Formats: sequence, structure tokens, C-alpha cells
Amino acid sequence: MAYQLYRNTTLGNSLQESLDELIQGSLNTYRFCDNVWTFVLNDVEFREVTELIKVDKVKIVACDGKNTGSNTTE
Amino acid sequence: MASAPRPERVPRLLAGCLPLTRPTPTVGLVSMEQEETYLELYLDQCAAQDDLAPPRSPLFNPVAPYGMYILNASNLDTALNSNPEVKEASGDFSSVDLSFLPDEVTQENKDQPVISSRHETEENSESQSPQSRLPSLSEQDIGLGLNSSSLSNSHSQLHPGDTDSVQPSPEKPNSDSLSLASITPMTPMTPVSECCGIVPQLQNIVSTVNLACKLDLKKIALHAKNAEYNPKRFAAVIMRIREPRTTALIFSSGKMVCTGAKSEEQSRLAARKYARVVQKLGFPARFLDFKIQNMVGSCDVRFPIRLEGLVLTHQQFSSYEPELFPGLIYRMVKPRIVLLIFVSGKVVLTGAKERSEIYEAFENIYPILKGFKKA
Repeated sequence: MAYQLYRNTTLGNSLQESLDELIQGSLNTYRFCDNVWTFVLNDVEFREVTELIKVDKVKIVACDGKNTGSNTTE
Repeated sequence: MASAPRPERVPRLLAGCLPLTRPTPTVGLVSMEQEETYLELYLDQCAAQDDLAPPRSPLFNPVAPYGMYILNASNLDTALNSNPEVKEASGDFSSVDLSFLPDEVTQENKDQPVISSRHETEENSESQSPQSRLPSLSEQDIGLGLNSSSLSNSHSQLHPGDTDSVQPSPEKPNSDSLSLASITPMTPMTPVSECCGIVPQLQNIVSTVNLACKLDLKKIALHAKNAEYNPKRFAAVIMRIREPRTTALIFSSGKMVCTGAKSEEQSRLAARKYARVVQKLGFPARFLDFKIQNMVGSCDVRFPIRLEGLVLTHQQFSSYEPELFPGLIYRMVKPRIVLLIFVSGKVVLTGAKERSEIYEAFENIYPILKGFKKA
């Protein structure tokens, strides 16, 4: 009986590193629902060869690939 | 022994450790020969036990009673007075996380039948309940799990270093009651291991709580921060918070699992935070039946271990398949804890419902491991 709980926790703990990102990095929040990932990042640098863009807040909405993937940033 | 209400009432430092019914013993290092001698003494003492102490059946397991640890509080006192070695060990108390509640100790100590302990560093004396008669265990049973008899095996397994020099002399109860009286205010219930001060550190606590209302997981996943919900993969919302750094699995029934906390109090606090998140989303969440389901601890004995030897002598409890997993899996009977023991000397303890079980299990295993030190 107790072991079922363990199995659940392995699932629950499987992405603990995302919290590490929260602490160390700039990931503000994340969400996954209906196979759509939504991330909000703070203090982001977009670096291209020629230019550098700094932004206070970035929202990334991402869906699964396979011909129907789309990425939008705002 | 309600685990739920207690952490709320105590100050943070005495954090929600579940009621402890026994102090941890200051177990010293003993050689095999010494262990045999102590075992004999213990057996003699058991035979005389009836005359000394009234039974404390509800709490005592005949094989490894709680009283052992409570008694060690008194042992500690006498030992402290007489033995500088123990003083050093007890000095480690200050650096140890004080998470035990002295109230419980006081009660237990007063009720305890007193058995004397000599002024030894090694304790783990058996303050035995009279039920734990082992007159049938002859000297052949001495040794670490070398015999086929399961009782002797479990006995030798459970009391590896123990055996203390308990003298069934009638005069002792007096001195011990005195020492008990003097010790009750002071015992902080901190675990002192084997006079080396090795204390297992808690790494993970798994707890459950009932929010007592049906939940709309999709709504929670859409509105809460840091939530994942993939019903095709797993029928719960996986939510995380930063402080305390934990993960919660929230089910539509209203039940929730909280993992990743490093202490009982943190686990409870985290669970409350998740409940508040759910509440703020508009659900009538409550906080029922908070219970810690599992505690994981780890420590380092700081010497390499001969796992092959250990599995040979403790085959009843050990399983070691280096081709499958590099650690030896030791299933201790009392307390019911599973230990993963590695060649490097690192030990992982899991399966505990209370912090004291982790400490107790380590106290039990340490002398055994010392006996299998490499080189």
C-alpha cells in the first residue's frame, strides 16, 4: 500500500529540477494543460549574431510538434 | 501518537517531529567479543527482569523494546557523570537538529522500569519488559545473525551493539530512579550515534492530506502557477512551490500527496500552502488527516563496507545483487526500515513514519556495519 505512494512520488518528483530552475534561473512560472506548455520568464536576453534584445517578461506558449506545433512569444 | 496536531503547536525549532517514545541511545562501539559478553549479560538480566519491573506490554516489543531507548536516557545520565567519552558524544547534541519533544520523554521516563546501566559508553541496554524472556537463547545464539534460529537472528540483529552491561542488582533501581529524575528535564531526545555523532539527515518526506472537496483539475491547472496536468499520463495535477521546495500531486477527489520536504514541519507547511492555493481558486478546501507516510534519511559511516560479508551473515535481512543494484538492501525488522547500504559507506534509510525510526534503525545498523569495515 505504501509502495503505491512511492510510485506516485516518483512521478511527482520527476521534474524537481524545474523548481531548481525557478530558484536559480529566470523561469517565473510554467504550466502544462491540454498538451500546451506555457512559460513565463523574466529578464531574458535574446541573442542573435548581430543584436541583443533584453526583455523583462517573456511568455512562451508551446504545443507539441508533429506538423501542428506552433510557438508564440509576446 | 497523533502526528497531525502536534507540529502546529510547537515552535519551529522543535519542529513537528512526531511524538517520540524513546530517546536515542548513545551506542558505543563494541567488538564482537564484547557484544557476546553483553548479550550474555542481557540474557541474564532478562531472567531477573521479572523481579524488578512491572510489565509495560503495550509499548514493548518483546524483542526490542522501546524501553531500551528510554532507559538510555538514564544511561546517558550516569554515563555522562562517569564517562568522558560519552560527554564528547553528548556534546554533539548541540549540533544536532532538536526535533524531538521532551514532553513525551518525561512521561515515558517516569513510567519506566528502571534497569541499571553501567557506566559504559556503549548502551543500548535493554530495559526489558519481562515478556522478553530469552532464557532459551543459549550462548550459541550469540553473534551477529550467524544462527539459523530466526529468533536468535532477529535478536542478534536487533541488538547488535547492545547488551549492555545491565546488572540486575536491586540497588540499581534506586540510583536509576534518581538518575531518571535528574535526566528527564535535560534529555533533548537528540540522537547520538555510536559516540561518533553520525546523525542521519532527512532527505525526503512524503505526506498526504485530504482537502475534502471535489476538485476541477483543469481549472486548477489553468489558473494556478507552476502546475502540470496531463490526464492521459497521470490523473492528477502536479504542482510545485518554491518554499518549502516541494511537489504536490492533487487529485480530483480532493486528496493530495506532498513530497520533497526535508522535515515534518516543512511537509506540513507545504501541504498547507497547496491547500491555500486550491482554496484561493474557489474550492472549499479543508485540511483533514494530514499524515506523514514516508521519511527518507541518509548518512555516511565514513568507512568502506564489505557488503559480501554482510549479506552472508545477515542473509535473512539482506539482499545484495551487485549486478542488479550496487547497494545492499537491508530490511530491518524493528523498526521496519529498509536500508540501502553501499560499499562507500553511504547509507540510505527509508520506510519510516517517524523520525525516530530512522535514528533507531541507524543506531541498530551502525555496529553491524562496523563489524564489516573493509581493511
